[in-house]
Amino acid sequence: MKLRTAISQVKGLQHLVESMQLQSSLGKRYLLDTFMMYQSNKINQELDLVNHIYSILRGKNVGLIHKIQTKLMQVRDIKGSVKNIMSNLVLDDIELFEIKSFALVSDEILKLQNEFETTLIEIPDLNSIISILDPENNRIPSFYIYDSYSSELAGIRKEIKKLKTAIKADPERYTGQNLEALLSQSEEIEAEVRGRICEKLYPFASELERALNQVAHLDVIIAKAILANNFAFTRAHISDSTTEYKAMFHPQIRETLALSNKKFQAIDIKLNHSVCFITGANMAGKTVILKTLALCQYLLQFGFFVPAQLAHISLVHRILVSVGDDQSEQNGLSSFASEMVKINEMVEASIKKENVLVLVDELARTTNPTEGRAIVNAVAEIFNENQTLSVVTTHYSNLNSDCRKLRVKGLDKDFKAGEINRNNINDYMDYSLIEDDDLKVPHEALRIAGILGINQQIIEKANNNLLNK
Amino acid sequence: MPFIKEIEKYRSLSIVGLEKNTGKTECLNYVLSRLSGSTKQIALTSIGIDGENSDLVTQTHKPEIEVHEGMIFVTSELHYQKKKVLAEILDVSSQTTSLGRLVTAKAKSSDKVMISGPASNAAIKDLISQMRNFNVDITLVDGALSRKSLGSPAVTDAMILATGAALSANIPQLVYKTNYTYDLISLKAVGDELKERLLPIQKGIWTISEEGELFDLEIESVLLIEKAKDKLFTQGNRIFVNGAITDKFLNFLRIQKQIKEIEIIVRDFTRIFASPETYYAFIKRGGRIKVLQKTKLIAVCINPVSPDGYCLNSDELKQAMEEKLKLPIYNVRELNGHLVESKCDSRIDR
Repeated sequence: MKLRTAISQVKGLQHLVESMQLQSSLGKRYLLDTFMMYQSNKINQELDLVNHIYSILRGKNVGLIHKIQTKLMQVRDIKGSVKNIMSNLVLDDIELFEIKSFALVSDEILKLQNEFETTLIEIPDLNSIISILDPENNRIPSFYIYDSYSSELAGIRKEIKKLKTAIKADPERYTGQNLEALLSQSEEIEAEVRGRICEKLYPFASELERALNQVAHLDVIIAKAILANNFAFTRAHISDSTTEYKAMFHPQIRETLALSNKKFQAIDIKLNHSVCFITGANMAGKTVILKTLALCQYLLQFGFFVPAQLAHISLVHRILVSVGDDQSEQNGLSSFASEMVKINEMVEASIKKENVLVLVDELARTTNPTEGRAIVNAVAEIFNENQTLSVVTTHYSNLNSDCRKLRVKGLDKDFKAGEINRNNINDYMDYSLIEDDDLKVPHEALRIAGILGINQQIIEKANNNLLNK
Repeated sequence: MPFIKEIEKYRSLSIVGLEKNTGKTECLNYVLSRLSGSTKQIALTSIGIDGENSDLVTQTHKPEIEVHEGMIFVTSELHYQKKKVLAEILDVSSQTTSLGRLVTAKAKSSDKVMISGPASNAAIKDLISQMRNFNVDITLVDGALSRKSLGSPAVTDAMILATGAALSANIPQLVYKTNYTYDLISLKAVGDELKERLLPIQKGIWTISEEGELFDLEIESVLLIEKAKDKLFTQGNRIFVNGAITDKFLNFLRIQKQIKEIEIIVRDFTRIFASPETYYAFIKRGGRIKVLQKTKLIAVCINPVSPDGYCLNSDELKQAMEEKLKLPIYNVRELNGHLVESKCDSRIDR
């Protein structure tokens, strides 16, 4: 899967990618075309590169990175011209100009990065290309068919100039005929020179393509490092068994909260290759946990740092999410039906013992509680049997006692009436997870509904119903 | 020609034709040839594709402009490929226009090229300021006064107007119409502080209260003014209109009892689409119009020949124009050494 596809499925990921400081459209394309990685050595290779720049950002050489970024801003995507040269076509002046100016910028970036003790990324030396396109050795990003390419051309150009002046001075005596002949002659020579230049460039085409890729990659790793630095991300360790996060957070939600001077409570969570239920009151952030888990997994496998203080992550081949905010009406399915279709996909992956991460929010919540609970227990059993790394949030009690359960602490203290309201409930909520052996799930729906200030009659009547049971 | 000295005082200059075939290209070519002797670095570009839609479709009829050795020009990729002039490419833009990316190049000989440029005001402004990177002193903009074009030549510091028989074949009419445009160009600008506040507002109609506060009247355009007349004066009599000023709007304002207090602010003079009759009636009653962006008209070029061969008496035209406008007036036919008479098949003296 490419990052381009992943961001269309995970909003949090899209938000992060959009906030990245990529300097060139080339870098942006490179990033979006990155494939999800499944081998730890590949991921570590990328993370090593990011980590290198990450540590420079915190050191005294940070200015050099900014200088490189300024150069990266001048980089244009010349993929088309490179393709043309690789297929041995003759390029026009604009394309040759693009290649020359790219080669010059690339060379400047190379020089800048040579000032570091260790190279950031290998960039091929393009000086052979520069010398072909810069016969007068000006090292200025400009191009035309210079006189120095052909003495014949230089001669004709001089004649044209002379003739033009003569025609202007005395249009009666000089006709335009000679001029036309000279012009077409010069055009012919220019075309021939262009052909020669492209022939000379041809052997360096693959070098050029590699330089283009490496420069784009440099842009990407710098942007990844800056992102990690800005959001206080950490480098995850790749684990063979459990996935474990210390102080994991959702960057976008934390940012939104920070705007209103609120703090995001980071979460510790540990997952084994089995099912894990998360229970807890409404508004306790269960969905956010699932979204953050998906985000972190994608980030790591696309070679990013992750939003946590410490992370050990086990790699997966696919991430399957059912958070129930997709538009099932559009498929002509009821919300229950569309959920079941998704769950079916997960269960089948589980039975095939695929290495997947399964994240399900409030499984079977849209049907009656009796059957709903039965479905939850059945699905959990399958995940457990097949050792599928999975997290399922639910409000149902009497869950399968073999399964691991985590509970969000929630509002686990007593508060005075009126102390909490809809605006400050987040301050009282304890979002941390605890291991829970209880078969029952917390019954706090009415209490939270009360805090949210819904009509008192509902709460009174609902409480009476519960007592009469 | 004295106005070349005048041009050198400005950083940007647009050359604008009041109608097709009013001799804008001749005028531009003349200015370029005169500037070729200047020590200043000159750059040349255009607003859009000259607002001539047929040009985009047929890709013909676009007059070529003669650039001189050492001048910088900006044109679209498509027109660059067709150039006759020998030129060194300095830059290729990342944004594209309908005719491809914009190529900035320096002429290495003197010859013809077709010029096309960015279409929007912001892009032209950006382009003019980017020209500093190439040490350009004066940027010439081939402009258009067209309701179709988004870009307005008023973004340049100075302007030369080309007018002529193509606009009207009757000297008093031609002078009257040209003078109207001159009056609009001469509209006063608002203060710098207010200008900075209003420039970023891209749509709607706003009033500025006595205390200088801005209120969005939540009217999309003056075309919808009929439905919102009651809202118009609730916060004051100074009104900033983003879109076009029409006859209907001015006529409505003209009959208001507080007409003398009313002040309309528009982005620049090209936004006033009202007929001269309506405009003058509005002004006569005491109404005022100001602009955010003001440009200075430094000369008017006249072309006494209309495209169908009709020819006005050039001396008479020039004299009538000078008397009315009190500006330097030049005959494009004479500027480039053409003989007026030889071009005129059916000269009609009036």
